[in-house]
Amino acid sequence: MPPRTFSRCLATLAAAFLRLRVSGPFCGLVILCAVMLLGCSNNPHPEPLQKTREDGTPWKVRYGALPEDPRSLDPQVCYDNVSRRVLEPIQECLLEYQPFKTDPYELVPCLLKKVPERIERSAGGVTYLCELKPGIFFHDDPCFPEGRGREVVAGDVLFAFQRIADPKVECPALSNLQDYVEGLAEAFEEARKADSFDYSKPISGLKVTGKYTFEIHLKAAYPQLLYWLAMHFTAPVAREAVEYYDGKPHEGKTRDMFRFHPVATGPFQIAEWKRNTRIRLKRNPNYHTTTFPQEGWGADQEALLRPLAGKALPLVDEVNMTVFRETIPIFLLFRQGYLDGMGVGKDAFSSLITPSRDLSAKYKERGVSLHRDTEPSTFFMALNMEDPVIGTNRKLRQALSSAFDAQGNLDIFFNSVPIVAEQLLPPGIAGYRKDYRNPYGYNLERARQLLAEAGYPNGKDASGKTLEVSLDTTGGSANERLVAEFYQRQFERLGIKVKVVENPFARLMEKLDNGGFQIAAGSGWGADYPDPENFYFLYYSKNFPPAGKNHSRYKNPEFDALFEKMATMENSPEREEIALKMNAILAEDVPHILNMHRSTFGLTQSWAPRIQSNPLLEGGLKYAVLEHELREDLRSQWNLKPLWPLLTLGAGVLAAGLLLLNARRKH
Amino acid sequence: MLAYLIRRLFFFVPIVLGVMLLTFVLFFVVQSPDATARRVLGPKATPKSVENWLHNRGYDKPLLVNRRPGEPWHDSLFINQMVRLASFDLGTSDVTGRPLREVFAQGALPSLLLTVPAFLASLVMAVGLALYLVFIRNAAIDFVATILCVAMMSVPVMVYVIFGQFMAAQVLNYFPAFGFELNGWSTPKFLLLPVSLMVVSGLGADVRLFRALFLEEMGQDYIRTARAKGVSKVQVLLRHVFKNGLINLITLVVASLPFLIMGSLLLENFFGIPGLGNVLVTAIQAPDFAVVQASVFLGSLLYLGGLLLTDLCYAWADPRIRLG
Repeated sequence: MPPRTFSRCLATLAAAFLRLRVSGPFCGLVILCAVMLLGCSNNPHPEPLQKTREDGTPWKVRYGALPEDPRSLDPQVCYDNVSRRVLEPIQECLLEYQPFKTDPYELVPCLLKKVPERIERSAGGVTYLCELKPGIFFHDDPCFPEGRGREVVAGDVLFAFQRIADPKVECPALSNLQDYVEGLAEAFEEARKADSFDYSKPISGLKVTGKYTFEIHLKAAYPQLLYWLAMHFTAPVAREAVEYYDGKPHEGKTRDMFRFHPVATGPFQIAEWKRNTRIRLKRNPNYHTTTFPQEGWGADQEALLRPLAGKALPLVDEVNMTVFRETIPIFLLFRQGYLDGMGVGKDAFSSLITPSRDLSAKYKERGVSLHRDTEPSTFFMALNMEDPVIGTNRKLRQALSSAFDAQGNLDIFFNSVPIVAEQLLPPGIAGYRKDYRNPYGYNLERARQLLAEAGYPNGKDASGKTLEVSLDTTGGSANERLVAEFYQRQFERLGIKVKVVENPFARLMEKLDNGGFQIAAGSGWGADYPDPENFYFLYYSKNFPPAGKNHSRYKNPEFDALFEKMATMENSPEREEIALKMNAILAEDVPHILNMHRSTFGLTQSWAPRIQSNPLLEGGLKYAVLEHELREDLRSQWNLKPLWPLLTLGAGVLAAGLLLLNARRKH
Repeated sequence: MLAYLIRRLFFFVPIVLGVMLLTFVLFFVVQSPDATARRVLGPKATPKSVENWLHNRGYDKPLLVNRRPGEPWHDSLFINQMVRLASFDLGTSDVTGRPLREVFAQGALPSLLLTVPAFLASLVMAVGLALYLVFIRNAAIDFVATILCVAMMSVPVMVYVIFGQFMAAQVLNYFPAFGFELNGWSTPKFLLLPVSLMVVSGLGADVRLFRALFLEEMGQDYIRTARAKGVSKVQVLLRHVFKNGLINLITLVVASLPFLIMGSLLLENFFGIPGLGNVLVTAIQAPDFAVVQASVFLGSLLYLGGLLLTDLCYAWADPRIRLG
């Protein structure tokens, strides 16, 4: 366009602009926007529920992230990690894990006065005598008369056990507990037939013997029951709350469902839940069930934790958990100081962690701390012991195991964060030995030798035919495909041929259940409780699918006998010896190819130091601390508003205005 | 007109049924209810818990037609669900048990707050810029604008989002880079960035499209006549080209209306806006068939409604079109 035409266009626009008499309001609007932008806060969180405590000290709020909304906060249903993280500070259990003791883990009383006493019944079976602490109250809630929480009694535990057996509640713990707790399976079947649960009928396995006392009757010895008492499934529930929060309209107002409105006894209670956005918890003013532990931490934490010993819990007043479906905003808000901690995902890994797996200097300067947490979990590839090729040839399984470079897998796909699994039991579980090495760990030369001994020198059988095995994986994403190709390459270095079969998750589960596989990648187990029984039961022959999770279909009478003995024993050196023997049997028989114990990196800000790192706690929020003033100082330093973007914008608007006016004057 | 309306509404039934059947087949025939239950309950689920889960949600019924002896043929999963949806009973979420009427009612407003301002702003800007480019066509600015538009179209939305969030959180610090608050005056500060990104990411394509539409009109004989009679170029553009280009605009605009309600999957996820796009993404990941089915049902109704509205608007905008 010739300059003359261009300036004519500008003149037309300028004339229209001035004719509309909007130049004044427009300029006003621009200035107003600039002022509003300068005055606007970039803090995405709402104002705290209170500014100060009753004593005038600052109201302390912890800010955290959730990957999704909790699915259910019903203690008898809640099983996924996200829901458990939210429920843990709200609902306390009969027992709990000592927050600082992780090797081995230790159970301590919470709602119960002491860890229950075990009594062997003369007629067979076992009874646990339990006594609740008196004077523990449910949260104040409209479901109670005058909105004041009532005292927790033994009947509330009975109600919880009845809910476990109610088919409509869908308690995930039922399948485990019904084999041991008397009357649970029968109550479930009866309710299934009648299509409703009769809450007037007690469960024979839970006998209320007094206001605070009750007995749990088991059909057989099951020391792992104590761990179940440290889970939400067995936590007391107020019947009034379940009946009140029915999700139906009452007097023109729809009440929440109980699964979204837990009424419990924990140190926090829900103050606000904006679905898919955030949950805010507020300190329970009546909480006095537990205090900060007096011991258990390491020498490096002595200075930080000694002053807290015996203090009333919780130590902060409010918890704000925001739902983030993507990880990038978490990183950005953490950098701005609007989150107190974050997990290190793949997106931000390279900018946070150095090649030597340390925190980058930039974040160290900001006072950020790096933590590495190892979960009590083990991931492996299941080998089908009923497969005519793999199941019958131990040397072949040993060769395959020796050919798998687990460390290489972790280096390439997991940034070397998890640790190589040398045995089935993860760290912290009785029977785990840190210095133990898998006799069939990665050693390619040995793998070739073992393969030859298995009857397949250089991967070929006696007739010269190449051995072909199938590897089932979960497939779909590009990353999963790369991992599968890596696995395939590991075994094909032996000269054998590996056919990768990609499956949707559910199809792979189906194959594991019906035995339609040779090698299945992606199998694993995360501890429900820190006991070797919770891992070795994966190889107990009575746990073949569909009854159990022995996907490898491993059957060894010696292993079975040891399992039966170990499973019913209390923890002791003898039990650990048995666990070691069982490990040695599995190591020789190789019903799986061990991969890793999952570990993660986490970061915390300088004002929110990590207090405990017990992986069996979902955050341990009641022990969390906060330095309010430090956070306020650093936040204001990190979120300065630069003036140059506004000045640039203003200059641009001014230049455009002058250009328009000039063009108008000319034409 | 009334007969036309009734006839069109009548056509809705087989179309919606077809869409629902397709969704059902994709969800349940390709992946059995049993597999869905396993995904929801996780790897530790026992066959008994899977069976109980299916029973409680009615997924243990035959899929399309009931051939079990002694049971009515229509007591099947698909037919039961269609009967329920016909009475606009959306049911409850398979995963959380929340009533879906509540889920959709709560999600619609945040979605609309994001999409409507973005839609209006991008429409006004795109139409204005397109008219301006038509006004100065073949000029250097037109050429530069074409390059810019193509460049803007070529950049994936994701890049805009990440760049925008980075700038907001690390450079500007004027407004939140994430979050949403339905709370009067604080709502706009949360919407500023996602709305701007939505406008910018779609602007290139819209300007190119509208420019092409208006240029086509500019080539018509009546424009030449108007210009020959001495009508100014600006008046020709605003009174004739814009008005006659409206028909094409209406098609695009009305067809977009259902998408406004269903929200923006990507932006809602990245900015934590609890809209319907967010609900749908969560449901697909879960997987929550009840939510997906209800979303598809509502989405198809809205889309059909949008198409009907387009036809009605045609008749309004162009006197030559008569519906009957």
